[in-house]
Amino acid sequence: MASSPPPFCEKAMTRNRALRRTLVLLGMATLPLIVPVGAQQFSDRAKKIGFQLKCMCGSCSMTAAGCSHPGGEFSGPCPTAKGMLQEADQHVAKGETDEQIVQAFAQEFGTTVYAEPPKSGFSLVAWAMPTVYLVLGALVVIFVISRWVKKNASETTASAVPAPPIAPELLERARKLAERATED
Amino acid sequence: MDVFGSFALLLAFVCAVYAVVGGIAAIVTRHPLLVKSARQAGMATCGLIFLATFSLEYLFFTDNFSIAYVVSHSNRDLSTFYKIAALWSGMEGSLLFWSFLLAVYVLSVLIAYRNKNGELMPYVGVVMAGVQLFFLTLNNFVESPFKALATPGAGGVMNFITRADGNGLNPLLQYPEMVIHPPNLYSGYTGFTIPFAFALGALLARYPGEKWIHLTRKWTMIAWMFQSMGILLGAHWAYAVLGWGGYWGWDPVENASLLPWLTGTAFLHSVMMQEKRGMMKVWNVWLVFCTFLLCMLGTFLTRSGVVSSVHAFAQSNIGPWFVAFMGITLAVCLGAYLKNRDYLASENQLDSVISRESSFLFNNLLFLVACVAVLSGTLFPVFSEWFTGNRISVGAPYFNRVNIPIGLLILFLTGVGPLLAWRKTSRESLKRNFGWPVLIGLLAGGVAFALGFRAYYSLASLILCVFVAATILLEFYRGSRVIRARSGASFAACAIDLTMRNTRRYGGYIIHMGMVFVFLGLAGTAFNRDVQKSMQVGDSMQIGPYTLVLQATDSKPEKNYTAQRMMVEVLRGNQPMMMLFPEKRNFLTNKENGTMVAIYSTLKEDLYVVFAGIDPDTQQPVIHAYLNPLVKWIWFGGVTVVFGTLIALLPNRRSVLVLAPAQQPSTVEPVPHGVVASPILREGHD
Repeated sequence: MASSPPPFCEKAMTRNRALRRTLVLLGMATLPLIVPVGAQQFSDRAKKIGFQLKCMCGSCSMTAAGCSHPGGEFSGPCPTAKGMLQEADQHVAKGETDEQIVQAFAQEFGTTVYAEPPKSGFSLVAWAMPTVYLVLGALVVIFVISRWVKKNASETTASAVPAPPIAPELLERARKLAERATED
Repeated sequence: MDVFGSFALLLAFVCAVYAVVGGIAAIVTRHPLLVKSARQAGMATCGLIFLATFSLEYLFFTDNFSIAYVVSHSNRDLSTFYKIAALWSGMEGSLLFWSFLLAVYVLSVLIAYRNKNGELMPYVGVVMAGVQLFFLTLNNFVESPFKALATPGAGGVMNFITRADGNGLNPLLQYPEMVIHPPNLYSGYTGFTIPFAFALGALLARYPGEKWIHLTRKWTMIAWMFQSMGILLGAHWAYAVLGWGGYWGWDPVENASLLPWLTGTAFLHSVMMQEKRGMMKVWNVWLVFCTFLLCMLGTFLTRSGVVSSVHAFAQSNIGPWFVAFMGITLAVCLGAYLKNRDYLASENQLDSVISRESSFLFNNLLFLVACVAVLSGTLFPVFSEWFTGNRISVGAPYFNRVNIPIGLLILFLTGVGPLLAWRKTSRESLKRNFGWPVLIGLLAGGVAFALGFRAYYSLASLILCVFVAATILLEFYRGSRVIRARSGASFAACAIDLTMRNTRRYGGYIIHMGMVFVFLGLAGTAFNRDVQKSMQVGDSMQIGPYTLVLQATDSKPEKNYTAQRMMVEVLRGNQPMMMLFPEKRNFLTNKENGTMVAIYSTLKEDLYVVFAGIDPDTQQPVIHAYLNPLVKWIWFGGVTVVFGTLIALLPNRRSVLVLAPAQQPSTVEPVPHGVVASPILREGHD
């Protein structure tokens, strides 16, 4: 992973990566044979990192820390998720930062391991989109409102034809009635 | 019966073709007999779909294991209750169920308006029949639920076989809510066809005025109510069955159900602008179109497998059919709009920026941003694969980060919007309506902060919940006070009277109150805790103020499964409180497992206990306990939303003042000509 491979090696690299990924998953699947499934506890940091990683078992779309594997024989972190949390703990023991640990998983499993897109590269688009929608939408709404207000103001000044007169007492009575009804 | 069902479906297809073709001919020729025959063909289509659906249910009830769909989704020991649910547990049946629910709506509309709105109904009938035709095409030629079970024999001849028993129903679906959640959600999806048909019909027919809006208001609210119920029941099912302690995982299929709900909610608000002020006609028509298209998109996402989902029980290759249908629908909508857009000319004027109209615009903006953000997040893995070759996952943490601020802004507008006046709101009115609620909200936030609450989103949610609840209660209080001054009745009676006088306005407030409860429940998520432990009988574990003691275990053979049950005693401060019985079910036919979570639920918190399984090394049961604060408020909020919607659907009760002005002298002065008698009594569009 240290040096970038030449282009013609791409297929071989993909195959190697797939092989390595399969071995890692197989290793994780055999973990329950060594470690008691339910008894194992993980550090809080491993759990925190586990919420940033997707469980790679392939049959649930939960995070590694939140995996409960519905429908499985064991409702809790499945062997794959447990393996990932254990691996996270190993990285923690080496003194790596959260970001380094997440990156290590991304190198192992690819970008599908992210529970949320990383804030770099093309993934930034995912983070920018909602803000862009909100800002653009707000600008459109403000533009529309100001246009409507202006339109009304210009139409009010433009209407030179006087309205038929309404008796002041009738108008006052109507105003009082409307005020009372809308106030309460 | 399978032949009968197949034939009924085929005949329904023929009738739907006639309803479309005959309907178009009726619109062109304006011949009354053609209009009538097209309408009757529409009714016959519905009747035949009912027959086909009942035929499939009959095949389930009679354990007819010569039909592939029955074999895949049922077995002899499956209870009658779940044999009903088996209808929509797979692809073919769920598409037939779609047709069935759509037929219920279509038939209701055709009967309700058979002698009314003669200019509009032929157009509406054609649009509805067009949608039915699409689903009947799938039912007949792509995913027929009546396919016989067969294996290819020598020379390519198919050998029809009958199995002794079926594979059984997916264990995750064998839960009471699964019998009511899909029908509710589907009723929401299908129900939005009716406002869509009226909107497109009115545009095509250039139907004058806002009548189509009035005609569809109830249908839209009914569809919206079912969609809301469907979403919440699904969340409750996920909470009570999946055993992960949560209720919403931002799975693509969950997101798909939320999208039309968001645009539908935006429409229910913006439509008031058109009713009251004749504004936003183009916007409203496109909101209805988008809502319908999002219903189709939701069904497409659920069925096509284009995005990976835990709801993988009904995936197939029908995606291209949906894409084609959505493309045709969009083209028709666009064509109709471009041809008749002058019909949608609005009277767009505002007196002030601070007005009800502005709040509705911002409300719509937020709902739309939430919708587009959820949609683009859901489809981002597909986009990223197109552009970079790498599929980048977007999971729950992303959706939470993006949608929580938007949700809080919507909650803020929930409190502000209804109390702003149309056209212009004065400073005095702002002070009067919002002074106390703002103060009470901030006070609640201050108290929570002083008590140690440091989860800032939850704190903001709490402040806004208290603020919105205060504005709503203040509205009820003021209205009731006026009635009380006149009648002398109790406040409760006056509040009921007030609500029944303007059901739409006060029903709306009740719905808003329900949403406040939902947000309150969601705010509790920040304080969730959980503990997992392998336990022997007699062992205990601690979570919050509760001590859980495993008292015994047993195995309970049932007709369709064997349940391994844990008997967990709950103590609080060493005082025994109750027994909880979480269990794990092993289904015999399909060798799958399911959990039954035991929940002790209070308004303060849920004690949620899962029997996770047996530790393979120690052979000890593993108990996973969660303490989830305020969850009950979410379900309570859902019930309140449904109650409010039902209230809003009721007609206004006429005022005693109007019915008997002589017996009840009022202080209201004589009404000048041309002024509405009492704004409280007007056909409430507040």
